[in-house]
Amino acid sequence: MKARGLPNVRKGRFVAATLFAGLLAGLPLAAPAATLNVLQSEAPRSMDPGDQTATFTYTVLEPLYEGLVRRNKQLQLEPALATEWSSDAAGLVWTFKLRPGVSFHDGTPFNADVVVKNFQRHLDTKRGLAASGRIRQVLASVVALDDMTVQFTLKGPYPAFLSLLTTGPALMVSPKADAAGTLSRLAVGTGPYRLVEYRSGEYVLEERFSGYWGKQGGTERIKWTWTAEQSVLNMAIQAGEVDIVNPLPPVFARMVKANTALTLHESDGAVVFFVALNLKQKPLDDVRVRQALNLATDRAALVKAIMFGFGRPANSPLSPVTPGYDASLNPYPFDPAKAKELLVRAGLPDGFSLSVAVQEPEARIAEVLQGMWAKIGVKLEVRKMESGVWSNAAFANPDQKAKEGTGAILTSWSSGVNGADMQLRPLYHTASFVPTGANLGFYSSPALDGLLDKAAATADEAARNAMYGQAQRLINEDAPHVLLYYKKDLFAAQANIQNLWTEPGGGIAVRDAVKP
Amino acid sequence: MPIYLLKKLVTLPLILLGVSLLVFVALRALPGDPARLMAGPEAPQEAVDAMRVRLGLDDPLPLQYLRFAGAALGGDLGTSIRSGRPVTVEIAERLPKTISLALVAYGIAISVGLSAGMAAAVNRNRWPDQATMLFAIAGASIANFWLALLAMNYFAVELGWLPLMGSGTWKHYIMPAITLAVMPTAVIARMTRASMIEVVGQDYIRTARAKGLPERVVMRKHALRNALVPIVTIIGLNFGSMLGGAVVTESVFNWPGLGRLLVDSVRFRDYPTVQGVTLVAVTAVVMMNFLAEMLIAAINPRIRFD
Repeated sequence: MKARGLPNVRKGRFVAATLFAGLLAGLPLAAPAATLNVLQSEAPRSMDPGDQTATFTYTVLEPLYEGLVRRNKQLQLEPALATEWSSDAAGLVWTFKLRPGVSFHDGTPFNADVVVKNFQRHLDTKRGLAASGRIRQVLASVVALDDMTVQFTLKGPYPAFLSLLTTGPALMVSPKADAAGTLSRLAVGTGPYRLVEYRSGEYVLEERFSGYWGKQGGTERIKWTWTAEQSVLNMAIQAGEVDIVNPLPPVFARMVKANTALTLHESDGAVVFFVALNLKQKPLDDVRVRQALNLATDRAALVKAIMFGFGRPANSPLSPVTPGYDASLNPYPFDPAKAKELLVRAGLPDGFSLSVAVQEPEARIAEVLQGMWAKIGVKLEVRKMESGVWSNAAFANPDQKAKEGTGAILTSWSSGVNGADMQLRPLYHTASFVPTGANLGFYSSPALDGLLDKAAATADEAARNAMYGQAQRLINEDAPHVLLYYKKDLFAAQANIQNLWTEPGGGIAVRDAVKP
Repeated sequence: MPIYLLKKLVTLPLILLGVSLLVFVALRALPGDPARLMAGPEAPQEAVDAMRVRLGLDDPLPLQYLRFAGAALGGDLGTSIRSGRPVTVEIAERLPKTISLALVAYGIAISVGLSAGMAAAVNRNRWPDQATMLFAIAGASIANFWLALLAMNYFAVELGWLPLMGSGTWKHYIMPAITLAVMPTAVIARMTRASMIEVVGQDYIRTARAKGLPERVVMRKHALRNALVPIVTIIGLNFGSMLGGAVVTESVFNWPGLGRLLVDSVRFRDYPTVQGVTLVAVTAVVMMNFLAEMLIAAINPRIRFD
């Protein structure tokens, strides 16, 4: 912000101007310096962390709520509302000791009964909370062993259980506020900040909670606003009107980088972009054809053209932030000559025609591919669709896809740090054929199915990751998808803002952010 | 006149009924499922179904409409899917913001449009006329979305004179109000010019001039008053398109009004909120047209409606 002196005007006129300003504004107050201003790309969907699944809502709620465990700056799990925990050998029964002396912002004490109520509201199918799905898939029951000890019993082994406890539905809400039915607009958690005001069309204002049990390193207040206009996100940070914008559209990343007053924060993201090939359609049933498409794809050029360089070529069906990701794989370096040769061997010296269903905002990716694949004789027909229409085409069964001539589907998938199973099972397992799961191209490999099932039931991390290593190689070899790239998570902040970090998937943690 | 007033009052509910039905059907014809949007793309089908039941979207459509219309008659527009709050509360919070912005913008449009149009008519085919007409054509054709971004980049980012977005102080009004005013200003200026030129050629103006009245009095009292009827009509009719402009302007400037609420709600397929905002906007437009007609009758007593 530039410093400006008072205008040199006669006193009377200045008073009149002030009065006028006051009349129009009601309260002409400048935001105090101890407020951290954050502008995001979408409005929060609820003040109840268990009734939303949006990254940018989670970011707003994270300073207000805590779970039993949380992630620190190094993204490692650390104790939050639980002080210690253990599980049985099979990984089915988990016991947590709770932190004593914690109370909610409304004064309700935190104890085992609170934890049980918090999970039971998700197990109760009648509630229909937006984020209950995953809890219900994993959790069988939860009981209080004593006032400060709870025990969870899982339906089956779930290696990412602790990670699940950091997600929205596992953040502890005040049972009193939940019973009153006011949580959707009045957040009541145990976090270092409490909600001051939520004006649904304008802002969310949070301030430090004086009764917090732990250390509070952040600013006095945090104010969240939002805009759907991409260029406004950029202008707001450039004008110094806000301290942080999240996410920063990649088209503006170089501009932010060039501005010394700003810092561009980039980190590996969890989103994988790919083209799912319909294996029930000729000639895509031939693995050589699928490999040829992979070899004909210049991923580095794609990252440059679409992400302005802020992405990474995909070398695996897992994203770089997913546990078990193998960075050493490089199955398909750009090699159009070899691709052409494979097509000749598959009996397609003149290439073939293929259609791809793509949502409008992602159509440019398909258009770039069209140019690349034309060089090996593949004529790609790009079918741009509105998201609802696309959804119908992408999740259609084999017969309908044959009727509509859908050869491929361009899309993305993200499971974040929550484990390889949540990335691979819905996309590649035989049991996940659409519409049940998201195996969009009907890829089926008994060897892979067996590996995925075995890995999901393996509690030992090293052994599990070894199996996922095998799974990645197997999928690369069979090439049911043309893997494209991993998006980087970008956000921009004023250079003086310290102690921020990104959570894979695009969320940012601001609870300890310092604004000098 | 009272009969006409009565007729108008009877047609308003009919218009609202028709519009509500139209919006209700059109919204549900859009692809996209609010339950799926609320539960997230990776939620299991079972969670989506539970959400649908909770939102009352599992009932047959005619039943849903009857429930909505019945409640609306009692002043209850339902509960917002997105925020969980009554739609009437959401609207009441935003309405003053939109009204204040619209009033400032319309104030600018009427004063600038009238003066520019008169100046153009008086100086026909000279530079003030040409400048006004150039502005009128440009103003009516430039997308206010683009104009807003241009102004923001220059006055807020480059110069740092004005706040980029949001509301709160009088400075926050300047850019959104002017952006919103550009289109109606252009339309009003054109109409004023055309209408004045027509009136100035009339015999009674020649008479007024002949009896030695100062030109200022001739223009204001004799010419403008008679020229006003089509101008007031166009002012009244343009209110609707200005509300349309407010949808864009409010979204770009983060103005917490009804327009932004509408955009956010459409994105989330928040059916009750979209329906509620549309009903309020339609009522405002109908009332505004009605007001314009009343005003016309007051300006020119020869006009009879009944």
